[in-house]
Amino acid sequence: MLRPALLTLTLALTALGTATADKVLTGAFDVGPGGAPQLFNPLTNSAGYTWLNKYYSTLVLYDAGFKKISGDLASSWTIADGGKSYTFVLRDGVKWHDGMPFTSKDVKFSLNLANNPDTGSLFAAKFNNIKSIQTPNARTVILTLSKPNAALLDGLTGFMILPEHLLNKIAPKDLRTSAWWRTNPVGTGPFMWSRYVPDQYVELKANPNYFKGRPKLDRLINRYFKEPAAAVLALKSGDIQFTYLSLDDTKSVQGSGVNVISGPSQVVNFIGFNGTDPRFSDVRVRQAVEYAIDKATIVKQLYGGGADLASCVVTNTKYQPKGLNAYAYDPAKAKALLTAAKWNSGDTVELMTYYGDQLSKDVLVTIQQMLAQVGMKVTPRFVDTPTYNQTLDKAKPTFGMVYAGSANGPDPDVLYPNLGSAFAPPNGTNRMRVDVPAIDKAFDDGQAQTQAAQRTRIYQNLCSVSNQQLPWDTLWTAKRFGGASSSLVNFVWTPAPGGGRYDDHAEDWDIK
Amino acid sequence: MGLYALRRILISIPILLAITAIIFTMLQFTPGDPLDAYIPPDQVISAEQRTLLKQQLGLDKPAPVQYLIWLEHAVHGDLGYRIKNGQPVGLELLRRLPPTLLLMGAGMGLGIVLGIFFGVVAAVRRYTALDNGLTLLAFLGISTPPFLAGLLGLYIFALKLHWFPAGGFETPGQGGVLDIARHLILPALILSLLYVAVLMRYTRSSMLEVIHQDYVRTASAKGVATVRVIGKHVLRNALIPVVTVIGANIANLIGGAVFLESIFSWPGTGQLYLDAIDARDYPMIMGTTLILAATILLANLITDLMYGLIDPRIRYT
Repeated sequence: MLRPALLTLTLALTALGTATADKVLTGAFDVGPGGAPQLFNPLTNSAGYTWLNKYYSTLVLYDAGFKKISGDLASSWTIADGGKSYTFVLRDGVKWHDGMPFTSKDVKFSLNLANNPDTGSLFAAKFNNIKSIQTPNARTVILTLSKPNAALLDGLTGFMILPEHLLNKIAPKDLRTSAWWRTNPVGTGPFMWSRYVPDQYVELKANPNYFKGRPKLDRLINRYFKEPAAAVLALKSGDIQFTYLSLDDTKSVQGSGVNVISGPSQVVNFIGFNGTDPRFSDVRVRQAVEYAIDKATIVKQLYGGGADLASCVVTNTKYQPKGLNAYAYDPAKAKALLTAAKWNSGDTVELMTYYGDQLSKDVLVTIQQMLAQVGMKVTPRFVDTPTYNQTLDKAKPTFGMVYAGSANGPDPDVLYPNLGSAFAPPNGTNRMRVDVPAIDKAFDDGQAQTQAAQRTRIYQNLCSVSNQQLPWDTLWTAKRFGGASSSLVNFVWTPAPGGGRYDDHAEDWDIK
Repeated sequence: MGLYALRRILISIPILLAITAIIFTMLQFTPGDPLDAYIPPDQVISAEQRTLLKQQLGLDKPAPVQYLIWLEHAVHGDLGYRIKNGQPVGLELLRRLPPTLLLMGAGMGLGIVLGIFFGVVAAVRRYTALDNGLTLLAFLGISTPPFLAGLLGLYIFALKLHWFPAGGFETPGQGGVLDIARHLILPALILSLLYVAVLMRYTRSSMLEVIHQDYVRTASAKGVATVRVIGKHVLRNALIPVVTVIGANIANLIGGAVFLESIFSWPGTGQLYLDAIDARDYPMIMGTTLILAATILLANLITDLMYGLIDPRIRYT
C-alpha cells in the first residue's frame, strides 16, 4: 500500500521537477528612464532598446563600456571616399526567427523604411543624408552619403534591422500602428517572441539558431509595472530578478540578495535659459547662476557622491580639454556679476522641470535657496513631460529657466539637435533657442570629420566654447542604477539614454 | 418598475452627454496635447512630420468639430483609436474590463459581507470594548487613502511576510484560477477596507435605531430566538439606509481601484486610465470616462431598484 503511494509521489515530484526545469529570467526591463513599456515599433521608439535588442539585431553595437563600436549583424565594414561611403559585410548564415535567410536586402529595406516619412520614423533625422543603398550581393551593403557623417555608426547602434519578406506586405503608412509589432514580430536576436499579455508581460523564448549560439536561458520575461516602486518591491520579494533603481532604492535593497549595478547616465543635467528672453542674454547672468550654485555640495549631500560635475555640455572625459572654468562656488562673485549685469532683484523667475522624483525636488529647492542668497528669486515648478514640451515649443516661448537633462553620449553628435541654431522649435528640440555660431560649426565639422583624433579636438573645442559662453549652465552627470538578483550569472546591464545599444551578450545570461 | 427603469435610463443619456462634453472641454485646457506626449523630449522631428502626425490624429481641426466627430462615432459604437498603439479604444477597454470587474466585485463583496457583519456585532455588543475597538478601526479605514493602504499592505504582507505575491495579475507563463486568486486577495481586501469601515458605521447606527422599536421588543417577548430577532426583524429593516450607502460609494470604489491597480500592477481599466492621462490620449480618456460614468449611473439605478426588494412598501411610479 505504501509502496504504490511512494511511487506515485516520486513520479509526481519528477514531473514537477521537469516542468519547472525551464530557466526563466523575469525582469522589469522597461521600468525607468530608458524604458518604453508596451511600445514595440523600433522605427518610432526612441527608448526601450534594452528589450528590443533581445529579439531584433542591429548592424553594429557598442560594447558595454560605450568605448568602441563593433559588429552585430555586420561582421566588418570599411569607410571610404572621405567618409561618404560605408561598405558593410554581413555575417554569414544568419536566419530570421521564421527560418528565412537574412540578407542585404533586409538592411536596404529597413533603412528605406526609416527614411520614408509615412512610417513616422524618428531615425529619418539620423539617416536622411543616405543618398543611395546598393546591395551588390546578399552579404554586402554599400551606403553612399550626400555628405560625410561620422555619427552614422552611432545612429546604427540603435537601429533594428527588420524582415523584408514579412513587412513588405504592410503599407508603410500602416506600419506605425500595425498589430504586427505586438502579435508575432520576427527578428534575428537571441530570443524569439512567444507571447504578449497586455499591461502584464511579454515572454520571449530562446532562439535555438541564434548566430552567437543558443541562449542559456529558456525564457526571458519582461514584466510591466505602472509604479517603479512596485517593481522594486517585486525585486526584493524575489518575484522578479531585475529592475531599474533610483538612488534611494539602492539603499533599501541592501541585504535582500540584490546586486546594485551603477553606471554613468550619459545625461547631463543643466539649468537652461529662455534664449528669447532679454533678461538672460547677458552672459554674466548665466555665469552668476553657475557661481551661485554650490554644485560640489549638492553632489556630495544629495547625490551621495553619485554624480560627476560637468563643466561643459560634453562630459565624456576624452572630450574635456585642459583649462576649463569649473565655476566653483563663489556667491560673492555671483552677486557682483548680477549687479554688473543690472539684474533686477525684484524679478521672480520660474524654474520649470519635468523631473518629478524626490531627489530632483530636493535639488531644485536647494538651488532656489542658493540663488536667493545672491539676489535671484526663482520659484520651482514641477510639470509632466507633455506640459513641459508644450510650454517650451510655443512659437513665442514665455518660460524663464528650466532644470532639465540631455543625452550627451556616447557620441557627442547626439547633442546637435538640442544646441544647433537650426533646430529651434518647431524644427527640432533646441528649446533654449541657443544660437552660438561656433557651436553650430563644431557640430557640422564633427559630422564631417572621420579621423578620430581630429574629431576629438573638434569636440574639445566645442566643450571650451560651451564652458565660456554657457548656452546651458551645465551642472553634473548623475549615475543611474539597476538592481539584479544575486542568482543571475553573466548578467550585463548598464544605464544608457533610451536603454540598450550595447552588446550585453544576452545569450550568456543564466540563472542559478 | 420596468417603466421606472426605462425612464431612468433615458434620463441618463443627457447626463452622459454632459459628462463627455465637460471632460472634452477640460482636456482642451490641459497643457500639452497627444503629440507633446508622443514625441520624446530629446527627439528631433521636422515641422512637416509634425503637421502630418497632427492630421493623422485629427488634431488639426477646431475643438468643437473634434468633439462632434468623436460624438458621431461614439453614437455608432466606435470610440476611436488609442494614440499609443492604434488599437480600437473599445477593444482596449473590453480587454481590461474583466480584471477591473473582478477586483471591484471581490472588493465590494468582501466589503459588504464584512462591513455588515461587523456592524451587527458592534450594534449587538454596543458600548463594549469590542464596539469601541471596531469603531476605532472603522475610522482608520475611512481616513486611510487606498494608495497608502495599498503600499503598506504590499510592504507587510508581500515583502515581509511573503503571504502574497508583490502585485501582478498572474505569474507570467502560469496563470490559472488559483494563481489569479492568490494575486487577487491582497488588493481586494485593501479595496474593501473603505466599504467595511463605512458600512460598519452605518449598519451599527441603523441597527441601534431599529433595535429599540416596539415590534422588536414584542418579538423578543414572544420568545423568538435572539439570532432570529436580529436577523429578521432588526437587520432587514436596518438595511434600507445601508443599501443607499453601498450605491453611493461605487464612485469611491472606482476611484480607489484606479490607484490600487497601478500600485498592484493590476492590468485593468484604472491603469489604462492613468496611462491615457499621462499620454494625453484623448480618445482613450474620453472612452474610459464614458464607460466609468455609465457604470456609476447603472450602479445608482440598481441601488434604487434594490429598495423595492428589501422594503415591499416602496413602490415605483
